[in-house]
Amino acid sequence: MTPRPPTLREKRRYVLARIDPHGTAPDPKELYYAVHEVVTSLWGDAAGALIHVAVIAVEGEYAIVRCRRGTERELVIALSTVISCGGRHIALRTVAASGTIESLRERIAALQEPVPVPDVPAECTIDGTTCAVCWCAGQKIDVIEKGFKNTTRFFLTREDLENS
Amino acid sequence: MMITDSCVYPRPLGDSSVKRMALEAHELGFDSLVAVNTPPCEHFGVTVETGVVIGEVPAQEVSREVKLGRERGAVVSVLAGDNGRNRMVLGMRGVHILCGIHRTDRHAFDHVTSRMATDNSIAIDISLAPVIHGRGVSRQKALDRYHDILLLHRRFEFPLVISSHARSVLDMRSVREFSGLASVIGLDIPDVEQALSNVGMIRSGQSAVRVIP
Repeated sequence: MTPRPPTLREKRRYVLARIDPHGTAPDPKELYYAVHEVVTSLWGDAAGALIHVAVIAVEGEYAIVRCRRGTERELVIALSTVISCGGRHIALRTVAASGTIESLRERIAALQEPVPVPDVPAECTIDGTTCAVCWCAGQKIDVIEKGFKNTTRFFLTREDLENS
Repeated sequence: MMITDSCVYPRPLGDSSVKRMALEAHELGFDSLVAVNTPPCEHFGVTVETGVVIGEVPAQEVSREVKLGRERGAVVSVLAGDNGRNRMVLGMRGVHILCGIHRTDRHAFDHVTSRMATDNSIAIDISLAPVIHGRGVSRQKALDRYHDILLLHRRFEFPLVISSHARSVLDMRSVREFSGLASVIGLDIPDVEQALSNVGMIRSGQSAVRVIP
């Protein structure tokens, strides 16, 4: 099959979204279904088909999502309604939109520069509950309640940890 | 003009500390937050104001809690109910916001309550939580209610506020996302800007300039 000439191809745009919380790293397939589900539920099947959404890649904490040119706004609104993926609570924060995947990959490389890790203890006690520090960068610290099940992730700052 | 998320629930009501919510709000483009049951403070350049949300309690209890909230200098929000309750709440001194309107029926907020909200400078809360978290029928019902509120807002010009009702930093959204989600309801950018800055206005008791033909 001969490829379609560039002038006859549809113009596409790519949206870069950060996956919160840090370290979630969802399965790309699960994220694909989650994004499809929110687009369809918010805009319907007809508009969903026009948006032509697809998760192209999940690279670390970032996802590249494709759409048809001119439908970026609808896609970004739908992405802000993503609340879970694979049973985990997540949020997608739109960072940038571009016409090429390459430029978004360059953007990811620039964003993923190592952040100095502050000196924090591996464990802490929050309101009498022992928690393990699972991620920290700058002022932000995420801790997970220690236990076998029903462990909750808490979102704190360094000051909270110092005061606890 | 202060860009304010008019209702968030930090720990222990949610899973994020107020400082973390303030830090996240700063990154998302907000200048201030109304945090429920949290003393007023300022973190990372974000002003945190005390919020009180009064639930479905009897009228006398509402009156008592509004008075307590007013004494604390809090932004007082009262959960909407049926038409009679809404009229009672909108006539009460010290109430700043009527929230949870998306859960009420079509007759709960009409032209009379709209006029009362305008006269008393009480804002109607447009919570984005049902738009973000809702799916299917529940979201459609919420959007329908918001369309109706918007129709009355355009006629009577009562103040609107927009809130995320976030219980986690993951539920918080940026100003641009607020604007996008509000456009689903039918609010355009100037309306959103006005709604995000209305908390300061309703607290000071000033009403927006109205053109009376």
